[in-house]
Amino acid sequence: MALRMWASSTANALKISCASKPYLSLSRCFSTVLDGLKYAESHEWVKHEGSVATIGITDHAQDHLGEVVFVELPEPGGSVSKGKGFGAVESVKATSDVNSPISGEIVEVNSKLSEAPGLINSSPYEEGWMIKVKPSSSSELESLMGSKEYTKFCEEEDASH
Amino acid sequence: MRGPLKLEVWKMGFVNYLDALKLQEKLVSDRKLCRIPDTLLSLQHPPTYTLGKRRTDHNLLIPASELKNIGAELHYTQRGGDITFHGPHQAILYPIISLREIGLGARNYVEKLESTMIELSSLYGVKACAGQKGETGVWVGERKIGAIGVRISHGITSHGLAFNIDPELKYFKHIVPCGITDKEVTSLRRETSTMLPSEEVIHEQLISCFARLFGYNTVVWKENPSILSDHEEIA
Repeated sequence: MALRMWASSTANALKISCASKPYLSLSRCFSTVLDGLKYAESHEWVKHEGSVATIGITDHAQDHLGEVVFVELPEPGGSVSKGKGFGAVESVKATSDVNSPISGEIVEVNSKLSEAPGLINSSPYEEGWMIKVKPSSSSELESLMGSKEYTKFCEEEDASH
Repeated sequence: MRGPLKLEVWKMGFVNYLDALKLQEKLVSDRKLCRIPDTLLSLQHPPTYTLGKRRTDHNLLIPASELKNIGAELHYTQRGGDITFHGPHQAILYPIISLREIGLGARNYVEKLESTMIELSSLYGVKACAGQKGETGVWVGERKIGAIGVRISHGITSHGLAFNIDPELKYFKHIVPCGITDKEVTSLRRETSTMLPSEEVIHEQLISCFARLFGYNTVVWKENPSILSDHEEIA
């Protein structure tokens, strides 16, 4: 734990990021941030493809949560609002709300997460996706952070304490 | 580096579970709007069983209808964690704090709550430690002395920890505590050979451990606070 925190703050200082593996090893370092996605300050990501936006939580978020044991998701057909909670994850006896970075209609929900909540830890940007939404406003997407901005945001957040 | 951190502590004595829940909801909302500083509720509950978000009521071993006979209530909550019991002589801390301002994620926060109880235990010569993976809480060997169940909403915490000073342990027989079978529940009274001071002293020590571990420079104590804060009602 101490080694990882040291490595993380060193990496932040050197502005390095690299892929992280789910299983702890001495080489595990810092959180992955993917290009091409948009990010919210509450550590959710959005992938906009055509008329559908996929939403999940970032590698930084899953790392700070610990092992996810339970995921609560809404039903398809419901709606989400920017900045409002749409579900929750439980890890280490803590339930944490997950907020939607954008508004829209929920068109699909990742049902695999009920049986395999750990996908959020092992594959936060791929198999650990949470909901798919038809966005109601393109300006909301524009206002989110890009990968460089989000990387800097995480560095500043981690470094200031 | 962050600026000076202030903690406001409410010493509340006995509080009914639902009243405490309503108060926390109001304080979380106030904290989110920065109307109040980081706040810590220190209290005890009458005999109460609670379930977390996963609603694991299969871990309640007696019918819910029988709870009244043993003088206990049951409540469902949005916190993490499994079923637990709260009762007299168990010290409860409910921190309503902004994790974003203090720079903690859920995991680090929970670790610090564990450390708070571990430190308190050590004051009485009791060697406690954090649980194995998946068994969050504080243990003395194979016996659980402290439990944790937390909710984090927009980065603000509620619920918290429960430390067994000397609760009536028979109440734990009616549940599978925290969903973990084959492990006992214990108390500070059972684990230490030291004479225990008054519970008020132990509560204050627990609060001091919390404040120190979380780095609060300023601690303000609010004695006998009203559940309803000045001029406001709980909606």
